[in-house]
Amino acid sequence: MTTPEQPTPAPAPAPAPAPAPAPDANGQSLGALIRELITGFGDNITSMVKWTGGMAVMFGQAVFRGPRRPLGLFDISYQLLQLGIRSLPLTTLMSIFVGMILAWQFGEALTDFGAKSAIGYVTSLALVRELVPTLLAVTVGTKMATGMTAELGSMKVTEQIDAIAALGADPIKKLVWPRLIAATIAMPLLVALGNVIAMVGGMIISDTVFDVPAGYFYATYIDELEPMHYVMSQTKALVFGGLAGLVGCYQGFSTKFGTEAVGQSTTETVIAVSVSVLLADFALTTIFMPIG
Amino acid sequence: MTKQTETALKPAAPGVRQALGTTIGEFHGVERARGEVIIEFDHVDKAFGENVVYRDLCLDVKLGETLTIIGGSGQGKSVCLKLMIGLLRPEAGKVFYYGADVTEMNAKQLREVRMRVSMVFQGGALFDSMSIERNVGYALREHTDMGDEEIRERARESLTLVGLSPDTHHGIMEQMPASLSGGMRKRVALARSIALRPEVILYDEPTTGLDPSNCNRIARMIRKLQHELGVTSIVVTHDMTTAWYVADRVAMLYDQRFPYVAEVDEFRKIEDPVVRDFIEGRTTR
Repeated sequence: MTTPEQPTPAPAPAPAPAPAPAPDANGQSLGALIRELITGFGDNITSMVKWTGGMAVMFGQAVFRGPRRPLGLFDISYQLLQLGIRSLPLTTLMSIFVGMILAWQFGEALTDFGAKSAIGYVTSLALVRELVPTLLAVTVGTKMATGMTAELGSMKVTEQIDAIAALGADPIKKLVWPRLIAATIAMPLLVALGNVIAMVGGMIISDTVFDVPAGYFYATYIDELEPMHYVMSQTKALVFGGLAGLVGCYQGFSTKFGTEAVGQSTTETVIAVSVSVLLADFALTTIFMPIG
Repeated sequence: MTKQTETALKPAAPGVRQALGTTIGEFHGVERARGEVIIEFDHVDKAFGENVVYRDLCLDVKLGETLTIIGGSGQGKSVCLKLMIGLLRPEAGKVFYYGADVTEMNAKQLREVRMRVSMVFQGGALFDSMSIERNVGYALREHTDMGDEEIRERARESLTLVGLSPDTHHGIMEQMPASLSGGMRKRVALARSIALRPEVILYDEPTTGLDPSNCNRIARMIRKLQHELGVTSIVVTHDMTTAWYVADRVAMLYDQRFPYVAEVDEFRKIEDPVVRDFIEGRTTR
């Protein structure tokens, strides 16, 4: 007789596996995405600190080694010619249009209030203290810096910077110092010129569009300005010029290998100069506002 | 220290060396005779990020010899030259020049070394914005009080030594690097490096990218400079014809070290398959 088969006991149900994190459209879990975001953010912070530190070191080296004899006056004057004189057309173009546009905008607003005769007063402060130095730094300064990056980057890629060092010369003294000094001198000069040309632009619009005589515009424009406003304008230009020179040189020196890297460095220079000029502008405005 | 230096070496171009205060076989009171070690790599480690180039690398370079460094592409042959003149610094180990540690030198000391040890870069690395005359005379302008006329004369001499005499190559002094052929650029680079009448010349792939006749010309030039100026040469190349022609000794870079270093005749007899494969251009491994 056969015993009826005992039914085998049902196995205890296995503990339910932890629910898998919901994958996103690309199959990545939310946790992985967040981790990636945080890692990326950390990497960006690290590279920004490295970049700032590298620039500070280069600035220190240039300031320490540059003033030693020989001063390299020929190199500095050559760079002044390259950076300054060759930027005159762009400076003129930018300044005259900024002056004209701003005068037009203010003129329209002031006409509504029947105060168009105050156009010179209003335009002067905005142009001299802010717009001319900042806009010239963002355009002319970027032009200077990208030129430096492209030139020095090409030299780096073709080992010319190494060759300078191998011949017993100091690349910082030979290449960075003249550019840094030239940019720092050229920018205030260009801004001084830009201030005059922007005023002329404002005079043209004032006279032709709003029937406010150019002479009256000039008198009110100058009347509104105080010495501190010129100091502010020139200090900003000095700092922006130095920043453009430093960023341009640092980006050139830190170019990696290959011609593609030169292009990449140059593009980064545009962003770096623009952002650092705006940050410096904010810092300087914060310092100067309570004074002037 | 031995004192055979004066008799062993030719007092070539005393003018420039006098102006610079450099002497072959003597550096800061330390003297070496021909055949004695002047450059020494002592257990050097070098890496670029995670890419380890050298591990525990040792190598000696003797005064007056031509040492050829061979090895596969990307193994770090050029890095070796840059370490010698402090353009790069090792992660560990030391590089000695006349017993002085190059890795610990400050900018002034490195400048002194670089006035005595010059380098010819792979692509020539001529300064684009300068004429040939200014390129060749660059180091003289930097380090001496010579006037323009004297520097011009020295540049002319150096160009003549590399077969680019302004008498036969009219107007070359005023030309810009971009207007020269690859072979001429390399020779101008060589002229620039010998303008200071260095004690050691480092050649980074001097024949790469040149046609056979130009390769031959450069190789003969290296030999000629060794004989005429008494220089020590270190030639990095993977062109075996050039290597055999110019070398007194050959060092092969393999597996982050120099496991094979020997005089030319001995090196050619090495039976190790690694060496045979490389020098015969085989791809069995």
